[in-house]
Amino acid sequence: MNVIGFIRDNASLVLAYTGNHIALVLVVLALSLGLWISTGLLISRHERLAGAVIGLGNVIFCIPSISLFGLFMSVPGLGLGRRTATLVLVLYAMMPLVRSVHAGIRSVDGTVVDAGKGMGMTGLQLLLKIQVPMAWPAVFAGIRVTVVLITGIATMATFIGERNLGRLIHQGITRGDAEMIIAGALIVSVIALALDYAMGRMERIIISPGLQVQGGERPRVGA
Amino acid sequence: MIQLEQVSKTFRGSRQPAVDRITLRVKQGDICVLVGPSGCGKTTLLRMINRLVEPDDGMITVDGRSIAQMDPPTLRRTIGYVIQQVGLLPHRTIAQNIALVPELLKWPREKTARRVAALLEMMDLDPGEVGHKYPHQLSGGQAQRVGVARALAADPPIMLMDEPFAAVDPIVRVRLQDQLLRLQQTMQKTICFVTHDINEAIKLGDHLVVLKAGRMVQSGTPLDILTQPENDFVLRLLGDDRGVKILDQTRAETLMDPFADAAAQAAANGHRVQAIDPVKIALERMMLMNTDEITVCEGARPVGLLRWNAIKAHVHRISGGAS
Repeated sequence: MNVIGFIRDNASLVLAYTGNHIALVLVVLALSLGLWISTGLLISRHERLAGAVIGLGNVIFCIPSISLFGLFMSVPGLGLGRRTATLVLVLYAMMPLVRSVHAGIRSVDGTVVDAGKGMGMTGLQLLLKIQVPMAWPAVFAGIRVTVVLITGIATMATFIGERNLGRLIHQGITRGDAEMIIAGALIVSVIALALDYAMGRMERIIISPGLQVQGGERPRVGA
Repeated sequence: MIQLEQVSKTFRGSRQPAVDRITLRVKQGDICVLVGPSGCGKTTLLRMINRLVEPDDGMITVDGRSIAQMDPPTLRRTIGYVIQQVGLLPHRTIAQNIALVPELLKWPREKTARRVAALLEMMDLDPGEVGHKYPHQLSGGQAQRVGVARALAADPPIMLMDEPFAAVDPIVRVRLQDQLLRLQQTMQKTICFVTHDINEAIKLGDHLVVLKAGRMVQSGTPLDILTQPENDFVLRLLGDDRGVKILDQTRAETLMDPFADAAAQAAANGHRVQAIDPVKIALERMMLMNTDEITVCEGARPVGLLRWNAIKAHVHRISGGAS
């Protein structure tokens, strides 16, 4: 078996597929973060919506991805291609993102919020200066799961016309070509790991050192 | 001055009012302590003053202005708020935590920085060392001092303190109480202080308000309440050492026999206390010296003699038979 050899021999094709794959993942990620983080914030302020929205996210997440791609492909105006792929992947990202934002905001120590309110913070200030910064660790955990998830599921979009790494895997399967399958899977994994690593670096910058566990010393929130 | 007029509050889903027709006045520069068992409504009462809880009935005014007419965040920025759990923002440094209200009030950065450093020093914390730390790196006592500093940041005329020292160990608690009293001598804030600890209430309060099940049972100076408890509830709250507590609140001069003439003054023995010292201190010294009398002085001048019999008789007269 010569995976490296396969990649070298088909360099331009593999490169094009990889580029498409990353482009799709990044677009989906950008849309999902904007959409689902704001949804998560919204439902944490309106708890009555939370059950329904999170429930919807769960239901979508439980539908097999291939059938979801197929379903949306048949919707007029969507059809084969990038638009459907993006939409479906954004829907998949709903569950982990909305849930982690909601859980993150809810896990914020009530006494800290109470103190902030007592100091004279407005509702928006409480959200932006206390709840969101304190929810970041949970939110970031959700984002990192989402990144890996999207990168993986994006391979399935090959069935609705996406020319990405899923195609290598799919064609590898139909041809019984193990090198091709492994090449596709390997690059997908590398992309997922790289994005996860990048998120990890970003996490260290964004999350306050006061919330990061240091040298086995756990933050004693509110104590 | 804070004034509460027939204030009531019943929480949703509860039949019993949490606060039941309370009328109360807190004088400028006083420490008013709300004391009572848990569930007596003291915290609810406190939180109505900065509108974290809205009363169902009655009126609350600060310096004659009804707070119901004010914008709650604006009102709260003029009232310091300290809670038992401290509630420091874990993601912000100590300096940033203290700067919270100045930041909300849009103070210039330099003014805020100077104020933060001054407050840390006032609280016996080293600005260079503590300012850059995060809350989880502090001890409980340090965190609570930062909590007090944060409440004082914008120099509010009023402070609301909700069991601020209840979660720290007894030694630190005494130190924090002493520090508060020391600061209050110069700050002269109007302070509402909630506690369930009668000793803390007596030590800190200029004025005590005893609460039970949302009702005011008694209010007055610590000495008033110690010497004339309204009923059995107050008596029990005061504890088994009421006589000793009274002696801690009574000045030596009130129980002494003043010297009739210079001759008696000259005969005064060597053991002395100051006229404004509590009788408890005089008693302590008498026991240490194994003597039944001690000279009471104003500065260096002996003014009277305090006798063991007078102390005994005083406590007996006030609380004898009552308990």
